[in-house]
Amino acid sequence: MRGRLLVRKVLWSVVTVMVVITFNFFLFRVLPGDPAKAGVRDPRLSPAAVEAARIRFGLDKPVFLNTEGGSLFDSQYFHYLQALSEGDLGTSYAFNNRAVTSLIGNALRNTVWLVLPAQILSIGAGVALGLWAAYRRGTKIDVGALTFSLFMWALPTFFLGILLLFFGSRYLGFPSAGRVTIGANYANAFEQFWDIARHLFLPTLTFTLVLLGEYMLVMRSSVVEVFGEDYIQTAKAKGLSVFEIIRKHAFRNAMLPIVTLIALNLGFTVSGAIQVETVFSWPGLGKLTVDAVSQRDYPVLQGAFLLLAISVIAANLVAELLYLRLDPRVTEV
Amino acid sequence: MGFLRPPGQARAVNVGWGDLPIEVGSPFPGAERKLTVNRHRQRLVLRAGLVVIALLAAACGPGSTETTTSGGTTQTSGTPSTGGTVRIGYAGAPADLNPGIGVLVEDYIMYNLIYDSLLDTDLEGNFQPEVATAWTPSDDGLTWTLTIRDDITFHDGEPLTVDDVVYSMALYRDTEAFLLLGDYLAPWVDDPETPQVPEITAVDATTIRMTAEYPVAAFEYRMPGMYVLPQHIWEAVDDVVTFTNDEMIGSGPFVLAEYSQGEFVRLESNTDYWEGSPKVDEVIFQTVDNADARVQALINGELDAITEFPATAIPALRDAANVEVVDGLEFGGRLADIIFNMIDPADCPPEDGVCSGHPALRDVQVRRALAHAVDKQQLIDSLLLGLGEPGLGLVPPALGDWFAEELIPSDYAFDLEAAAVMLEEAGYVDTDGDGIRECPTADCGPTGDLTFRLNYPTDNDEHPRVSDTLSGWWGDIGVAVQIQGLDSDALTAVCCPGFDFDVILWSWTSDPDPEGLLSVLSCDAIPTGFSETGYCNPTYDELYNQQTVETDRAARREIIVEMQRMALEDVPYIIPWYYPKIQAYRTDTFTGWLVDSPIIALEDPSSLTVIQAAG
Repeated sequence: MRGRLLVRKVLWSVVTVMVVITFNFFLFRVLPGDPAKAGVRDPRLSPAAVEAARIRFGLDKPVFLNTEGGSLFDSQYFHYLQALSEGDLGTSYAFNNRAVTSLIGNALRNTVWLVLPAQILSIGAGVALGLWAAYRRGTKIDVGALTFSLFMWALPTFFLGILLLFFGSRYLGFPSAGRVTIGANYANAFEQFWDIARHLFLPTLTFTLVLLGEYMLVMRSSVVEVFGEDYIQTAKAKGLSVFEIIRKHAFRNAMLPIVTLIALNLGFTVSGAIQVETVFSWPGLGKLTVDAVSQRDYPVLQGAFLLLAISVIAANLVAELLYLRLDPRVTEV
Repeated sequence: MGFLRPPGQARAVNVGWGDLPIEVGSPFPGAERKLTVNRHRQRLVLRAGLVVIALLAAACGPGSTETTTSGGTTQTSGTPSTGGTVRIGYAGAPADLNPGIGVLVEDYIMYNLIYDSLLDTDLEGNFQPEVATAWTPSDDGLTWTLTIRDDITFHDGEPLTVDDVVYSMALYRDTEAFLLLGDYLAPWVDDPETPQVPEITAVDATTIRMTAEYPVAAFEYRMPGMYVLPQHIWEAVDDVVTFTNDEMIGSGPFVLAEYSQGEFVRLESNTDYWEGSPKVDEVIFQTVDNADARVQALINGELDAITEFPATAIPALRDAANVEVVDGLEFGGRLADIIFNMIDPADCPPEDGVCSGHPALRDVQVRRALAHAVDKQQLIDSLLLGLGEPGLGLVPPALGDWFAEELIPSDYAFDLEAAAVMLEEAGYVDTDGDGIRECPTADCGPTGDLTFRLNYPTDNDEHPRVSDTLSGWWGDIGVAVQIQGLDSDALTAVCCPGFDFDVILWSWTSDPDPEGLLSVLSCDAIPTGFSETGYCNPTYDELYNQQTVETDRAARREIIVEMQRMALEDVPYIIPWYYPKIQAYRTDTFTGWLVDSPIIALEDPSSLTVIQAAG
């Protein structure tokens, strides 16, 4: 039964991804603006060149169905599907004829280096803080932790980033921008790692602080709810220490909503931390997407959104399956 | 509820899961099967997962889309540079290494440093010899003869010859998909309807002859864009349009060493450069998107210069130690403009034209009244901290004497009363008492009164505040505005050639010659999308055609001034200000920055080839 369930779930996920791809494809082409001009307003721009660019990008073909003779499927949409089936995400309109796959691949790698440590840290710190605040519910510690988390969650990412950038670079010597010290020669791998880590510190810190509020609040309320259960009372009566009660009973049960949250948030990892990446000039997927939007770079946008769709849908699937496994009350999702 | 710890209670028996098949009281039905889960195995899986992650992390650290080239032989001979790496920060990043298809400012910064072109513009706005040492026209202006240097080598050691020059120009002219540079060679494009055939040929090893279709009055400004490409590399390329040109072999003062997409460009000095090696070792252009981060990086000493930042950062920069702010003009000049949609319905482009402009804007009295209701100096003081010049016409002061200085007294002074009187006398009276005037004619737009749509591009810092200020002044004279910011592309879609707007706030940057910008007021520009106003005046067009072929500079200036006078009278545009070029640099790392000239461009080869490490 489990196997069939899994297969059905995966199939539905694939269908969802296909719907998202199609929707995105047409959505971009509904937007005003001409990618062949890439936002260039210049009297020197020759109309013949714009037309040639349009043909090069395949934009002269009809969008969905070709009713003008020749094959019905000689249209932008079906060409796109065919290329996709061959693993070809196309060539960027704006970035020097580079393959979208390599552009997104590099940006993705940079984004993961930024977002994954931040997610892990924020989960760890948020969960720990939430647990502590729930244990000390009603005390000053609880109020302090709550205020801190709500404040961090409400604070605009951009603003926090700028603040940390200012103090970090001015007084603590962290770099203001970029991924590495340009043109540096490293004596060994550790030096390179250290250089990247220095550049990663402030953006990761920003991202961690912004995310931790969410985990803290959910964890706290979840733990408070679990503490109210009878079996905790029983465990206490049996003489288990507080630490053991938390470790063996409260924690696992309270983690269920957190697990779902983690899975979903990780899915959104690949959308990049747009604001953080822009403030710290970190060349990740968020920055790539923003640049592509302003230049109407459809192939890059389609590739990035496809990646995001697959990531989110896969993460959602994993969350559902995890829940099945972790929560014995649930027999079918 | 709190935790009540039974006093003095010893630790109870460990009844945790996993080791003993004992049911612990749990409200979860069906929990029994969980008890035999082997925690040991769980831990193992977790540890294995962590190891895998660590291995993956070690294998693929954050990386870049990089093109690394060594740039050929540069260290063998020539004056050794005294060293240092200059770091310059800007907002964007180059997207195309191929001069034929590049359109961004950052692309051209690189081309200017890596390639030589036929002529160079200096920081006074004059044209200097570069690859061409002399250029003379024939008496009829049809033929220009250029003398080419013979002592230049490309970065890969090959000599630069007249053949490379001819090849490059022919490539720009004939490759249809090349975006911008071909336009400079428009006079040398063959018109099949005329008997003469233009040509660009090498006469001998040091001479090139360029014969055009018609007499070329404005010759020099076309030449700085003629980057000389190495023929031996480019003719071997399959398709020059999709050629990524990762190596960028040129002959300029700098060699491309490393290019990381969206992050930085690293250039090394060409120690064999024919004009003498630059005195620094390297120049790095770093992309720092966020303006505050860029300013901060300069103040911290991480950057040596920044090429752009908002005027609001000036006080912080002036306060910082060892940082200087310079302001001046831009190459070609940049201006802000207020665009009126005054297209006559008869001129509306048949295919793309919507032409929904308010009919009152076709009345020149309305436009003149609105021009009187703009306080240019006030806008400059509040938005640009007093830097920048009050606007006049489409030709900015950065273009030297093409700017019609003598027309300044004829500009519309800020006078709300005079504006109101003008509207009254033209018949625009507020008949229903709502503070907004109605028209004397029946057709007064969709709202039946003087309510105009006002659009601006959202990527501009000043325009939102300008529109708010304008709505105040224009409201005082009985004209209402509906403000809406639009994305640049959306704005282009409503502007031209659709003409689906009333008033737009935007900006232009000019070439060193006024020809390009003055063409946007011609009737021919309406269907191509470069006319924003729909202005169509046969006399203006006639003058424009005359100045294209007028080789006598003084006579040409007269024609151009007359064109600007017409534009001032007819007010298709209001030009509120000419932007200042504001840049900043550190004084303690490198000396010799060229900051005393009218035009400011710290990223230009003129500066980068002469600065040297301080101390």
